[in-house]
Amino acid sequence: MNDQERLLLELGERTVSRRGFVAGTTALLAATALGQFPQAAFGRSEAEQLFYYNWGSYVNPKTYPAFTKATGISVKKDFYTSNEALFAKLKGGARGYDLAVPTGYMVRILADAKLLEPINWSKLPTVKKTIDPKFRKLPFDPKDKYSVAKDWGTTGFMYRSDLVKERPSTWRQFFDLAKTKYSGKVTVLDGIPEVIGSALVMLGYSYNSDSKSELEAAKKELLGLKPHLLSITATQYKQLLISGKAVMALGWNGDALAAAAKKPVNYVVGKEGGEFWVDSYVIPVGAKNTDAAHAWIDYVYDPKHNATETEYTYYGSPLRRSLLKGKLDPKILGNPGVFPALRTLSNLEPNNVTAKGTALRSRIWTEFKNA
Amino acid sequence: MTRPGSGRWGRRARSGGPRYPGWLALPALAWYAAFFLIPLGFVVAYSFAALSGYSDIVFAWNLDNYRALWDPLYGDVFRRTLGLSLFGTLTTLLIGFPFAYWIARYARRKTLVLLFVVIPFWTSFLIRTYAWLIILDPQFPLFRVVHVDLLFSRPAVYIGVAYNYLPLMVLPLYAALERIDWSLVEAAQDLGDTPLRSFRRVTFPLALPGVIAGSLLVFIPLTGEYLIPAILGGNKTSYAGSLIAQQFTEVHDWPFGSAIAVVVIAAMTIVLLVFSTWANREASSRG
Repeated sequence: MNDQERLLLELGERTVSRRGFVAGTTALLAATALGQFPQAAFGRSEAEQLFYYNWGSYVNPKTYPAFTKATGISVKKDFYTSNEALFAKLKGGARGYDLAVPTGYMVRILADAKLLEPINWSKLPTVKKTIDPKFRKLPFDPKDKYSVAKDWGTTGFMYRSDLVKERPSTWRQFFDLAKTKYSGKVTVLDGIPEVIGSALVMLGYSYNSDSKSELEAAKKELLGLKPHLLSITATQYKQLLISGKAVMALGWNGDALAAAAKKPVNYVVGKEGGEFWVDSYVIPVGAKNTDAAHAWIDYVYDPKHNATETEYTYYGSPLRRSLLKGKLDPKILGNPGVFPALRTLSNLEPNNVTAKGTALRSRIWTEFKNA
Repeated sequence: MTRPGSGRWGRRARSGGPRYPGWLALPALAWYAAFFLIPLGFVVAYSFAALSGYSDIVFAWNLDNYRALWDPLYGDVFRRTLGLSLFGTLTTLLIGFPFAYWIARYARRKTLVLLFVVIPFWTSFLIRTYAWLIILDPQFPLFRVVHVDLLFSRPAVYIGVAYNYLPLMVLPLYAALERIDWSLVEAAQDLGDTPLRSFRRVTFPLALPGVIAGSLLVFIPLTGEYLIPAILGGNKTSYAGSLIAQQFTEVHDWPFGSAIAVVVIAAMTIVLLVFSTWANREASSRG
């Protein structure tokens, strides 16, 4: 399944947009061409390599060759579609990855399962200088032992503003429109916490609820939504929105903005609330080259390199905003979809589901998928 | 598992040929023991365990996972899986038989035609399935004309299954049909059989080993199929294979996933036993 899954993801990534495909191919060619010189120049006998396990479309393709040129370290890539898939891979014994980017709650789960190597902050001089202190010592890793923030964003929904005239602003409207006028043209993420959590907040409960009756109510809503879904996907919805096959999607803000670069797409944080998340760099247990992992983290924390990343992913940067001014396109820096107003954020919760809540969600997810 | 051309369904051993010592089978036996029987043992053991916390496993040695399977929800999944497997087997048989018959009896450049049958295997299964996403897209010229939108639907899954599994049916059918001595069919017709009757009484029974081998090659892997539903079905219709994959990769309930796998394997074994008993009786009654 590993090879197939990886291929699936690469295809998912490549089919996102033509721009992505062309850029990816160019980057690949550039990497093969440029990758050789610095190594020769430094006279390294052995090529250094970073094995990076990541979400699809989560690194600007330009960054790989630039990183290789600057450090002499080449990058080998593998992809996952959900935090759960990443966990399954590491728990199942996959070793050799040097770097991965789980969401906060998964950092805690991975650390508890002893699947992470500690971060050595003395190897991250740039990070220490540029990181916004708000992104230090986050609740899921209070001592900054295992993680360094990469990006942050929100989980909400998006719609094609040229095709959906109702301008939904609440989760209730999203569900109602999905079940009626836009039946068969709606997708949700292939992610347990995101989908169940959104139904919970719609009903006025916490995104992290572990109450049986509240989850039961959320399940009813989801089973009602299921027959009207086009697809359950975390990798294809951008493309489906762009083609117009889907007109609404439950998903992440960055993807919505990336789709908006092609077609009129509005992103909404449901009025009832939703998820605020931070994805963080971690070093999986059994990493072969932890130095390369630290080198990558420190490299992308350079404000200039970081701006390149944000311009591609459209996700919020954990760097101090003052450092991004002049480096990052002001249109992105001022875009409330990328850097939401504090007022919006105060209404949101980070994923912090208990073990009990996870067990209940698993069962609901099985029912949802099999209904 | 029975393969085409082996055992009692296949060619008879040459009577005057050399006899091979039994120990030649040892490497294969060791291989199956190490990479099939032992992992299978793990799966069975896990199926009696329980999940603790997020993903830890405790060996409780009880039947809770099997009891949890006794639920209409999963009954539907298994029925759907059986439906898909039967559909795939019958469809590939209906399409594959005339095709294999034509190659075996009439095609002039058999090797070339067989090459065309095999060519899809040169690309990954996954890429072939992804290609159907493009074909089934309502924007694709064919469907723009007929106004059919099958993308991410049950029929899309069925089309993907029929397409992907067809070569697995055609090849054993061809192998069986190619060995038929067509003068037997001519003799039957000379003696008064209509073409239909000679097909039923001569051709089909002679091709039966191929039909059985092809059906097993299609039916068995189909019971575990989950990639085609995930890609062409929009990941929203579950079959037994999807259910097992979900337990391992999404909800981390290895014990429950193992229990489902054991049930599928057990059901498959029963189907195989019934099938081979029937086939043996059929073969011996025809002499």
